[in-house]
Amino acid sequence: MLTNARQTAIVGIGATEFSKESGRTPMRLAVEACLAACADAGVDPSQVDGMSLFSMERNHEIEVARNLGIDELRFFSMVNHGGGGGCATVAMASMAVHSGAADYVLAYRAFNERSWRRFGTGVAGHHTGHEADDVSYSWTSPFGLVTPAQWAAMFATRYMHDHGATSEDFGRIAVADRRHAANNPAAFFHGRPITLAEHQESRMIADPIRLLDCCQESDGGQALLITTLDRARDLAQRPAVIGAAAQGVAGGQWMMRSYYRDDITGLPEMGVVARQLWKSTGLGPTDIQTAMLYDHFTPLVLPQFEEFGFCGPGEAKDFIADGAIEIGGRLPINTNGGQLGEAYIHGMNGIAEGVRQVRGTSVNQVDDVTNVLVTSGSGVPTSGLVLTTEGP
Amino acid sequence: MDTGADTGMVADWETLRSLVGLTGQPTIAPVAVSADVVSMWCVAMGVTDPAYVDGAAAPPAMLDVWSMVGLDAGIGATATTDDPHHRAYGMLSEAGFTGVVATNSDQSYDRLLQPGDQLTRHTTLASVSDRKRTALGEGHFVTTESEFRDHAGDRVGTLRFTVFKFRPVSGGPGGGDSGAPSPERPRPRWNADQAWHWEGLRDRELRIQRFPSGRLVHPPQVTDPATGEPAGGPETAGHHDWVVASGDATLHSWTVTRHPPHPAFPQPNVVGLVELAEGVRLVTNVVGVPPERLAVGMPLVLDFHETHEDVTLHRFRPVVPPRHDRRRPADEVAVGDRLPLTPIDVTVDQVTGGAVATRDPQDVHHDPAAARDKGLPDVFMNILTSTGLVTRWIGDWAGPGAVLDSVRIGLGSPTHPGDLLTLDGSVTSVADGSTIEVAFTGRTERGTHVHGTATVVLPDSGPTSASGSGG
Repeated sequence: MLTNARQTAIVGIGATEFSKESGRTPMRLAVEACLAACADAGVDPSQVDGMSLFSMERNHEIEVARNLGIDELRFFSMVNHGGGGGCATVAMASMAVHSGAADYVLAYRAFNERSWRRFGTGVAGHHTGHEADDVSYSWTSPFGLVTPAQWAAMFATRYMHDHGATSEDFGRIAVADRRHAANNPAAFFHGRPITLAEHQESRMIADPIRLLDCCQESDGGQALLITTLDRARDLAQRPAVIGAAAQGVAGGQWMMRSYYRDDITGLPEMGVVARQLWKSTGLGPTDIQTAMLYDHFTPLVLPQFEEFGFCGPGEAKDFIADGAIEIGGRLPINTNGGQLGEAYIHGMNGIAEGVRQVRGTSVNQVDDVTNVLVTSGSGVPTSGLVLTTEGP
Repeated sequence: MDTGADTGMVADWETLRSLVGLTGQPTIAPVAVSADVVSMWCVAMGVTDPAYVDGAAAPPAMLDVWSMVGLDAGIGATATTDDPHHRAYGMLSEAGFTGVVATNSDQSYDRLLQPGDQLTRHTTLASVSDRKRTALGEGHFVTTESEFRDHAGDRVGTLRFTVFKFRPVSGGPGGGDSGAPSPERPRPRWNADQAWHWEGLRDRELRIQRFPSGRLVHPPQVTDPATGEPAGGPETAGHHDWVVASGDATLHSWTVTRHPPHPAFPQPNVVGLVELAEGVRLVTNVVGVPPERLAVGMPLVLDFHETHEDVTLHRFRPVVPPRHDRRRPADEVAVGDRLPLTPIDVTVDQVTGGAVATRDPQDVHHDPAAARDKGLPDVFMNILTSTGLVTRWIGDWAGPGAVLDSVRIGLGSPTHPGDLLTLDGSVTSVADGSTIEVAFTGRTERGTHVHGTATVVLPDSGPTSASGSGG
């Protein structure tokens, strides 16, 4: 049971535009996003005394703090494992403000992942040392398994075999995301929905993952501002209460290559997160009106429904059928368009969309939202959170 | 790509074209059908069918071996008879089209040949193409049609044969390999905790970590996950114990890496997650399986290949079933039946031994320097060996009593020592109750080496003699 459950809130969100070429440096994107989050909340940047980052962030907190004119940082942390750490930045910030380690904490991601270094090209040529981190890639990279899509594909093939899922089932995730993105002026794919047939015609990237199963590397920045619920009530926006935020690693954990577990079709680290969130909030799957599920590759969205108990193991293909995950369905997901449709900002934009759903300001607003589930990277050490309208 | 009727390189194009349709003098095969030559051919092709190994009959695909001049004649490609097709070859060579590769061979057989048969060959120059451009360079396709007759004058088989006479591209193989260094395959990194595993691979053994509890673990760890004991036990921490994998495995999952392509890997590159018979999994490459034939659960067997000066990696290939040892009557065969995927290591021995066994004198099949002079990176497999291997593979699947009736072969990219040639095929028709057609391809990492069809007469289901009388 997390003692900070329902005690803290996301009070500000701020983003740059999302694009394939921002035309400016990642540091500018980071500062713009942070300033926008502070302005959204009505908090002066000088009041910020904590920064919560996750790895692969190259705009370090001291650089951003200098640019924001922050005199003292009392709390700063960096969660490991890239995209798995998105919601964990909120967990760290929540713990920090709840404990008094800091009053206002900024969490952010900003990069030119498309126009500078493309993330999807993989790790060939990296990891040339002899530490455990380098050596861990020796079991995959020499065989040509070097990109995130390729790592994810190995899970997807077995998931299809064991559970009877098809490429069309993966495609339904992409169709839902792109339908939602089509309504979102901020989305990369605004006005550009896709059909299942278009998904099926898209080229193979790493069998069975097709082009339209993949998020696209993006340029952009997204920041969040977190403080206590007491302070939140005096700020500019309706608080998005952090019902709970938690991390998870499970046995046999590797970074996107947990291939040696008895069953490789689940995401047990996501199960670790799910159990903490349900226990700490007292909520369950039927209490969730909409979910922002990490969607760098569609096949790894399906087991998230299963780990959180929306359906049984292997049943996600049935759960998502018939438009269930689209606006108007029983659990609309990724109402901003997700990372397939809005932008791939390592999941931080999904947290911001969760905040908008709680505020009632999404372009694809779901009716009567009280609780939103948000997850971070799948297949990696991960995290998740529940945002809610309700305080203690 | 057709470059039109630009024939300026050949001095007397009209004379060359006037030879088309003419038939040369009958030539008597330099060797009679003999059990010894059959035996050597069977060894080179891997034939184990007693109907042929025992010397009672010659495998049908040896049809034109008997009329080949043989390596010891030493006259290479420059035979200078007045026959129309030899004159055509000579005129093209003089015009600079000195390279030669076979591209098509359509054989049909009237009866099985027995030791003592003495053949006579009648060859007609069937066509000479306009100048064409291929991956090898520019040149002309020359097609001959031959009939083979026995001493009684009866036809025993026919052969339609096409070669490409081309102008070698200087500076390397015509396939576009410019010799520019390609980026290195990512190399494994190790430290003292895993060095024993990589050292084992260099000795061509796949080592799996074994803890004192008997538990096997891969990838290696420094402690037993079940007991917390250090590798090697408390007294010998730092010493690593292992078992050597048997090499048997099944495919647990797989992907084909396509985009972005990494230049150090073949395209497509198959990465498999295999479960070893010992119960641990590892990521590896799967070779010899076209992507459309990958299937979770398929049996695989261990193989090794050197990738760097100091690195040998494991890879896995399909398990090849043994020769079908009972009759396979046509009513047990259906359209769509797959023949077993069969990878064949293309070695120097296979290429040169095949050339010798098929009595092929062309230097490009046994002399690497000659091959390079003619624009190829190394010696390459001759079409008669490709034909022999394909027909042996079909015969092993078809089983005792099956007799090859005809085979049509088209060659694509040449195959060289070091390649893995994987044969794949399926039944495309079942007719007359006993004659079936098989369509096949043989692929290497360079592309499709061989493709074609074969017709086979399957035996009745009754227990008659295995060595049939021919189609």
